[in-house]
Amino acid sequence: MSQEYELTLKISRYDPDTDRAWVQDYHLKVGRILRFVDLFRKINDEQDPTLAWSSSCEHGQCGTCGMKINGKPLLTCELLVENAVQMFKTQTFKVEPLTVAPVIRDLVIDLEKAYERIHIVKPYIIEFAPPHPEGDEYRIPPRVLEAYVEATRCINCFCCATACISTQKNYLGPNAMLADIVRLMDPREVANEERLKILYSGQGIQRCRTSQACTFVCPKQIDVAHFIALGKEGKFGKVNGV
Amino acid sequence: MGKQLRIDSVLRPEVLIIGAGGAGLRCAAEICERRPGTRIIAVTKVYSPQKSHTSTAQGGMAAVDPKDPVDRVIYHMFDTWKGSDCSADQNIIKKVCETGWEQVVWLERHGMHFSRTEAGRIAKRPFGGHMLNFGEVKAFRACYEADRTGKGIMDTVWAESLRHGVVFLGQSVATELLFSHGRCVGAIVFVEPSGKFIAILAQATVMATGGKTRMYQVSTNCRQNTGDGLALILQAGLPVMDLEAVQFHPTGIVGPGILASEALRGEGGVLLNKDGERFMERYAPTAKDLAPRDLVSRCIMTEIREGRGCIHPDHNMPHVWLDLRHLPKYVHRTKIQEVTSFFRKFVGVDPETELCPVVPTAHYQMGGAPTNEFGEVQKSPEEIVPGLFACGEFAAASLHGHNRLGTNSLLELITMGKVVGERVVSYLADAEAPGDVPEEAGQHVFSQFSNCLERKGHQRYARIRDRLRVLMMEKVGVFRSEKPLTEAIDELRELKRMASRMELSSKSLVMNQELLQFWELDHLLDISMVIAQSALARKESRGAHYREDYPERKPEFDFHTLAYMTEFGKVDFAKRPIDMSIYKARGKNYKKFGMIERKY
Repeated sequence: MSQEYELTLKISRYDPDTDRAWVQDYHLKVGRILRFVDLFRKINDEQDPTLAWSSSCEHGQCGTCGMKINGKPLLTCELLVENAVQMFKTQTFKVEPLTVAPVIRDLVIDLEKAYERIHIVKPYIIEFAPPHPEGDEYRIPPRVLEAYVEATRCINCFCCATACISTQKNYLGPNAMLADIVRLMDPREVANEERLKILYSGQGIQRCRTSQACTFVCPKQIDVAHFIALGKEGKFGKVNGV
Repeated sequence: MGKQLRIDSVLRPEVLIIGAGGAGLRCAAEICERRPGTRIIAVTKVYSPQKSHTSTAQGGMAAVDPKDPVDRVIYHMFDTWKGSDCSADQNIIKKVCETGWEQVVWLERHGMHFSRTEAGRIAKRPFGGHMLNFGEVKAFRACYEADRTGKGIMDTVWAESLRHGVVFLGQSVATELLFSHGRCVGAIVFVEPSGKFIAILAQATVMATGGKTRMYQVSTNCRQNTGDGLALILQAGLPVMDLEAVQFHPTGIVGPGILASEALRGEGGVLLNKDGERFMERYAPTAKDLAPRDLVSRCIMTEIREGRGCIHPDHNMPHVWLDLRHLPKYVHRTKIQEVTSFFRKFVGVDPETELCPVVPTAHYQMGGAPTNEFGEVQKSPEEIVPGLFACGEFAAASLHGHNRLGTNSLLELITMGKVVGERVVSYLADAEAPGDVPEEAGQHVFSQFSNCLERKGHQRYARIRDRLRVLMMEKVGVFRSEKPLTEAIDELRELKRMASRMELSSKSLVMNQELLQFWELDHLLDISMVIAQSALARKESRGAHYREDYPERKPEFDFHTLAYMTEFGKVDFAKRPIDMSIYKARGKNYKKFGMIERKY
């Protein structure tokens, strides 16, 4: 049997039926490679079935289980007990929901609401480039794709938006900007004018204060700040008349 | 007396899509392109369509590029037929394989970020069971976006649906199908965040709720894949098809069962037993590590049973090794970066220098709601249910028969999603809008939910769930035979009785996960019962359904299993013939499409 840890989770709770919020402590004795989502399940199974939390794929591909652990936004399906103990140098963890949308219950937030910011930047191709003369797929050389392929790996977990020091009221957020930038760098998109307007709008990258918190917390290790910096440097061109 | 449950409001779109994953939204996009302005509501159990399980598919999507100098659609058709162990439907195989490439191009033109060749074209890689010249050498046929092809598809169809103004209803589940004079007119949907029931009345309803193998202890399926959609079909008195055909993916990461794509073997990874032997060479001398999934899973389980497996120290589970150490660094860093990171993150292994522990994991359900070649849901082999359509893993048309080839599922999502979209558009041309909410609407779901809310007793949900998952893995898993299957059926009855004595801690309807789990557990038990009984009834081995007491395929079982269950445990069977239209057309290679032997 491998090492066991005695953990204390201090979990933010909210009951919509009574509009009551509080912090509840749970004590657990667990093995080293359980993930945090396994801990929540264990709490449901053994201590408190009413604790609500979100997850889906549970292997870092869908971005549903983002939470703040001791203040750091991350995917709780990827956080192993032994890594957490090592990273935070403690066995007591504060567990809070992400701050990008209202809480529905406990750790479950209204992610649909958060997604409205992504909808605003139009993650599709707004206007298609003319097709290749041979009629099949567009030709995109690997070196062109290389420049933005990292940005396409974003799963909209909203960890970056939670970590960002700019106020969320005015800024659509790093991941929304990334979705816009992907299409600016995608040779199949020709509506660059409209895209630049989104990028440089009042809710766009001018709100970014270059803390690079987005890059620091990204669970997919995307250098989000790099792409935003390209925008700030004007690498994608300028809007007419600006 | 419990809460008074009622329908809170009524919505009237033209099309209701239940399940907003790859298939459901490909269908939505097709409807919108052909009939702009169609009012569509897409209901999803997850928070946003982008979170759907489609997003986790890794390896690729098979399609034969007409410009390929050596590959031919007929080879792909043959591989799919052979892979299915001669129980797929040839009309579907033909339709899907012939339109595969055009659908790949559709995705690419709508913004999917495929990996590229030096010339800038879509790159392709080999995958298990896909071969040239009727099974001679491996084919480069799987179009991919690194090792996140499903995410590429999902992002694309989600974004297209957004563009066309499809309305998404997240964190919501369809709880009862509505019918009027035999026609499906929508569903009652439970919206978790508000705790309200709404009736959605639509001219056409498309079901695409995806996978349903969460009843297995080791499973690649997401938390939400609990068979709710199929349970609705059964409740409506409709049949399900071929549920005994559960695919175990050979390489799940030990512990949580996370999928480690076949692409790893496609790129050159090999399986080793505890003695370091490349054991697949012994079982499948030609295809080796790229033999179809059912075969590789059985080989791994045989190695483990005969004492050539290892035991993982943390998870205390048997496994074999997947060796990726010899692959070039650039392959590790660019082509399989996502998947190899799972080994680092979840079992602390570095695939560039260490062996990776893997074990078969429940992955895919070949069976589902039976449909015809247009995705219309069938009441019987001769009769459809007007207004009700299905596609994706939820449905069985059937492209896969009793075993699916890797990369054929993503292919099915986009081709059949499109087919259903087309069909819905022609159906809408003269479909009348549904009248009032049917009188009996809600009876079923309200009694089901009231029952969950009012149950009393000391049984614990987690204990029943865990017992179910171990039971299905051990007795209705990779290897099956009469005695364990019979025991499993008895035990499922007992679990059902236990489940009727679970008590909720909170009676709230608003985002009450425990309530939803009770509801889901009913479905898991229902579907498990049909899987077990269908497996018991099929006294032969075919594809992923392997009976140790009947190890051969038998001609008297050349049919699809149709199963009806309106009362728990009472399963009635019927047969649907296998479509052999390619064979019957007597074209040049027709003999390849007979009841051929399946060797790799």
